[in-house]
Amino acid sequence: METRPAARVPALRVNVRMRLPALVVEAHLEADNEVMVLFGPSGAGKTTLLNIVAGLARPDSGEIALEGQTVYRRDTGGPSRNVPARRRRIGYVMQQYALFPHMTALENVAYARRRDPERHARARDLLDLLSMGSHAAHRPSQLSGGQQQRVALARALAADRRILLLDEPFAALDAPMRDRLQADLARLRPELGLTVLLVTHRLEDAFALGDRLAVMRSGRIEQVGRVSDVFRRPATRGVAEAMGIRNLLAARVIASGDGSVVLDWDGLRLVAAASGSALPPDAAVTAYIQPEDVKIVYPDRPVSDAVAYNVIDGRVTSHHESASARVIQVALPNGREIEVRFPALSYRPIPLEPGCDVRVALRREGLTVLHAD
Amino acid sequence: MSPLQLSALVTIVATAAIITVGLPLAWLLARRRFPGRVLLETLILLPLVLPPSVVGYYLLMGLGEAGPLARAGVHLLFTWQGAALASAIVGLPLMVKSAKAAIASVDPVLEDAARICGSGEWEVMARITLPLARRGVVAGIVLGAARAFGEFGATLMVAGSIPGRTQTMPLAIYDAVQAGRYGDAHTLVLLTSVLAFLSLLAVAHLERDADGRAVQGTRAVDA
Repeated sequence: METRPAARVPALRVNVRMRLPALVVEAHLEADNEVMVLFGPSGAGKTTLLNIVAGLARPDSGEIALEGQTVYRRDTGGPSRNVPARRRRIGYVMQQYALFPHMTALENVAYARRRDPERHARARDLLDLLSMGSHAAHRPSQLSGGQQQRVALARALAADRRILLLDEPFAALDAPMRDRLQADLARLRPELGLTVLLVTHRLEDAFALGDRLAVMRSGRIEQVGRVSDVFRRPATRGVAEAMGIRNLLAARVIASGDGSVVLDWDGLRLVAAASGSALPPDAAVTAYIQPEDVKIVYPDRPVSDAVAYNVIDGRVTSHHESASARVIQVALPNGREIEVRFPALSYRPIPLEPGCDVRVALRREGLTVLHAD
Repeated sequence: MSPLQLSALVTIVATAAIITVGLPLAWLLARRRFPGRVLLETLILLPLVLPPSVVGYYLLMGLGEAGPLARAGVHLLFTWQGAALASAIVGLPLMVKSAKAAIASVDPVLEDAARICGSGEWEVMARITLPLARRGVVAGIVLGAARAFGEFGATLMVAGSIPGRTQTMPLAIYDAVQAGRYGDAHTLVLLTSVLAFLSLLAVAHLERDADGRAVQGTRAVDA
C-alpha cells in the first residue's frame, strides 16, 4: 500500500509585526531542521525578532507557530494567544550569555532540567561534549567569554528543545575558539535534528554555518535563500549593501536578450550576462560587480576573452596593499569610481600608483543585474 | 517579662511583619510599573522622616477605641502587640529601601533566562532574584530589625511604658533615668549599644560583600 507522507509542518513559522520607538519589525520567516542565519547590520531588529520568537517581547500582531503549535496569535483570525516564554519550549543563548552568577557551570546547565533526577549526569555529559567538563565547578565569573559561551550553549541544549535561538554566539570569541564552536554546532545540529535561528552580523559565520540566510534590514526581512545564492544574487540594492558588496552601479537597460543585457551606466555602455527574465528597455536597475571581477588590461598584450567586454580607460585614485592582495580605486570617464582587487603579485609591470592611467575591463560574467530595487 | 524579654519579643514579631510585608513591596517597587508607584513608595518611606510622635498619633487614632480595629474587636492599645506594630511601621522603610535597591540591581536578563528554562514567576523569584539580591535584602532586614528594636516615641504613645507588659528596653532606660536608677540605666544602655553596634557591623559586612559580587549578567552587551 502506498502512503503519502503528511505535509511537513515547519518547526518554526513566524509572521509578526511589532512597532518599536525607532523601528517597525515586520518579519515573515520559516525554518525547519536547518541553520537559518538572520543576517544584517546592528539595529536591524534581529535580536528583537529572537525575543519575539522566545516570548520575551510581544509583537503587536501576527502569528508564531513552533513545531505546529500556535504560541502567539493576534489579529490574524482565530482566537488570540500568547504562550509565555516558559512554555514555548525553545533554547535561547542570549547575547549576554545570561549565566546565573550564583551557580556553577554545572548548576547552570542542570537548571534547564531541574525536574530530572539525572540532571547532574546529563549536565556533565553536555559540558564534556563542549570540552567544558574540567570547568564544571567554576562560577561564570571565573570563566572566559568563550567558556561562558559554551556553558550557555550547554544550558540551551540541556532542555532537549528542538528549536534553538543563538544571538551573536561567536562575537566574543577568538578565531580558534570560534572555529571549534562552529564545528561543534555543525556536528550536533543534524544529530539532534535542531532548527537553529542564528543571529550574526558577520558574513563569515553565515558561510560557515548557515544552510539558509535571511537578510534583515530596518526591521524587514528582505531576502531569504541559500547563503551562496543570496551572496551571488542579492535581490535588492539594500541586500547587496548589507552583504558588503562593493561596486554597486545604478544603471538603465538599453536592451536585453540573447543571454546578455546591455546597460547604460551614466553614459558608459556595459554588457552583462543575463540572468532570469528579460528586462524591459529603459528600466532602472542596480548592477554590481565584485572587485575581483574587474580586470586590468595590459596595454601591450593581445586582448584575451576575460577582458573582451566593458573595457574602460580610467585613472587610479588610490592604492592599498596587504600581504595577499592589492586594492585600487579607479576613476572612470563617467565620473564614477570602481574598486579593483587582485592578488598582490599580479600586474607588477603596470604602474598603479595614484594618478596613473589604467585600462580596466568589467568581466561580463561578473557584472550582475539585480532584479528588483 | 523583663525589658530585655519584651524587647526581644517585640523585635521578633515586628521583624517577621517587616519581612512579610516588605519583601512583596520591595519586589513590586523594583520590578513593576503601575500608576501610584511613586506615591506608594513615598508613603512607605514617610515614617523615616516623620517625628515618632506623629507616627504614634496616627496609630493611636487607628487603634483607639473609636478606630476601625477596636470596632472589629481587636484591641491593641497598651499591649506588646501594639508596640510591635509601631516598631514594624518604623522599621519597614529601611528594609524596603535596601531590598528594593538589591532586587532592582539583579539583571532582568537573568530572570528571562530562567523563564526560557521553563521557570514560572515564583521559581524565578525564589531561585534567581532573591538569591542574587540576598545580601541587600538581609541587610535591609537587619536594619529594619535594629530600628524596630530601638523604637521609642511611637511605642510610648501607643503602648505606654507599663513595666512587665509594654516596657521595652528603650522605655526602661528612660524610666530608670527619670527615677534616678542610674545603675539600671547603665546596664541597659550598654546592652543596647552593643546590640546596635553589632547589627550595623553585620550590615556593613553584608553590603561590602554585595558590592564585590557580580550581580549583573556576566558580559556587557556591545550593541
